[in-house]
Amino acid sequence: MNRRLLPTTVVGSYPKPNWLRRLIREYEKGEISDKVMRRAYDDAVKAVVKEQELAGVDILWDGEMRRDEMTSYFARRIEGFTIYGEVRVWGNNYYPKPAIVDELRYKDELAVSDYKFLRKITDREIKVPITGPYTLVDWSFNEYYRTREEAVYALAEVINQELRRLVDEGANYIQIDDPAVPTHPEEIEVAKNSIEIVTRGVNAYIGMHMCYGDYSKIYPEILEFDVDQIDLEFANRGFKDVEIFKEYEFTKDLGFGCVDVHTRRIESVEEIKDNIRKAFSIVEPKRVYVDPDCGLKLLPSEVAFEKLRNMCQAARELREDLEG
Amino acid sequence: MIMSRVIPTTVGSYPRPPWFREYLRKVEGLQKEGGGGIDEATYAKAVAEVIREQRDAGVRVFTDGQLLWHDLLCHLATKIDGFEMNGLVRYFDNNLYYRIPKVKAKLERKRNIIVDEFRVAYSIEREIKAVLSCFTLAALSEDKFYGNKTDLVMDIAHIMNQEAKELVKKGAKYIQIDEPSLLYAEKEDLSIMKDAIEVIRRGVDAKFFLVTYFRDAERIFPEVLDFNVDVIGLDFVEGYEKNLNLLREFGVDKEIQAGIVDGRTTKMEDKEQVRRRVEAINEIVNGETLYVSPNTGLEFLPYSKASEKLKILCRSVGDINE
Ligand SMILES: [Zn+2]
Repeated sequence: MNRRLLPTTVVGSYPKPNWLRRLIREYEKGEISDKVMRRAYDDAVKAVVKEQELAGVDILWDGEMRRDEMTSYFARRIEGFTIYGEVRVWGNNYYPKPAIVDELRYKDELAVSDYKFLRKITDREIKVPITGPYTLVDWSFNEYYRTREEAVYALAEVINQELRRLVDEGANYIQIDDPAVPTHPEEIEVAKNSIEIVTRGVNAYIGMHMCYGDYSKIYPEILEFDVDQIDLEFANRGFKDVEIFKEYEFTKDLGFGCVDVHTRRIESVEEIKDNIRKAFSIVEPKRVYVDPDCGLKLLPSEVAFEKLRNMCQAARELREDLEG
Repeated sequence: MIMSRVIPTTVGSYPRPPWFREYLRKVEGLQKEGGGGIDEATYAKAVAEVIREQRDAGVRVFTDGQLLWHDLLCHLATKIDGFEMNGLVRYFDNNLYYRIPKVKAKLERKRNIIVDEFRVAYSIEREIKAVLSCFTLAALSEDKFYGNKTDLVMDIAHIMNQEAKELVKKGAKYIQIDEPSLLYAEKEDLSIMKDAIEVIRRGVDAKFFLVTYFRDAERIFPEVLDFNVDVIGLDFVEGYEKNLNLLREFGVDKEIQAGIVDGRTTKMEDKEQVRRRVEAINEIVNGETLYVSPNTGLEFLPYSKASEKLKILCRSVGDINE
């Protein structure tokens, strides 16, 4: 893809405005109509897109205003899933864990209308993030398929249909969120095959985002995945993992998480410039995409904005230096 | 052949009733390690509810569901002086995370650990297993003080011994030591743990369970047979064939708690198959009692599925005793 040097982007989520959270609660209690809620989501997306534009993000997404969570949101829209209730992740944190109870089949679109709405309201480039089949299966119960592998491949076919529809609508950059892949290095072949199915016949630039687990256990194997870009968190790990990727020639574009989403501290422009330079020891600058480690949804929105703004400024200054 | 009496039991955790989950979220927030500010009557109501769920399903030896435990480790570690809590890591191969306890000073028991919770459960039901851990707590902690595993495990064992004595004073008849980490241990760890159990049991008049899960027990056989415990808990979901063979090969003169239905999936087992498996185990063991249970705690399941799982377990073995 022909882009300018060091394009800046986001992983996907952005903090929901407080007024939207309140409306969602009221909506869940049945106090407001579908129509009002839909309008509220649209307004929230417009606001969040504007913030990303002001911060200077080149390739953006809608902040996932409409998505509550990255597993169940998709599971509810795919035939064959059901949700019995919440299951603990840690402490008092739970998520509605889906269960596969029937053959997985394409039912509703997953992101097509979100994409179409966003296309209407911004001229910037758009990236569509979607949770990968490996992660969706890993974070679900499997009651139907004989093996996990079969479930992953069946789901990969469903996601593939969605990606084709997205491309038909004009999407040209898709990000597969697959944080579960590095947590199961023993199943890396299954994950790789799933990506092959997901991307089959999809004529778009494909990124893959992973933010958990031990990267050393899946490198260099992930270079064989059928994607254009691999996007990883580095800031949260103090950039120690840069060493892992120096060991073999990195043959993909690199999405370089250079801002920590787990701390409210706002990194300075200088600090972020130093961070981004670390990516150049893995790949040449023209293969680097600049983004935060992960989605920003857990941060206060002022903090998210400041982080993005400094990140974009850092990329801009480096770009000028490099282009001389 | 004399068959053992088959008694259904649970391993430890039970999903929090949804209303209690919301309650804890409110009083503790999302970040804290938990403990403070919880109203005892509210807690007791939740414990009564999960004990009733177990009883209605057919369970005969109960746990309190560990409803205040955020994970196996931090609930014990935050009550023991010398530990500090650290960042989150994955709990074995589960999509469940725990805070790493860090050992910063000599470990000491200056207050009750689970005694107060036990008291609540015991006022509702007498057949309650009190659950503790020793080796796993040491193995999954980050030791910045002792510098050798033996001293760390032994100090924890002393603390668990004090706790066990206190539990027995409050009426406890069954003490269960949960040790999933033992299944990943080295041979020298087993001799440390053998000594640790002697320490934990000293002067404690109760039936002792040593319970393992998440994989087969190949690494602890035959050494575990010399451990001074009354019941050994094995995971017959993850290691059915292997554990069966281990029992056949080495024989066993202790009672067994067989984890026979999968506590980590909502898929329900075929009752006939479960019954056949229990019978196969029962043919090899010769203790007075064969305990059967889910292989793990039930917190991996949504609330409504936990009792369904227990019903499968209990109904599968329902007619074996007759
Ligand atoms: Zn992420």
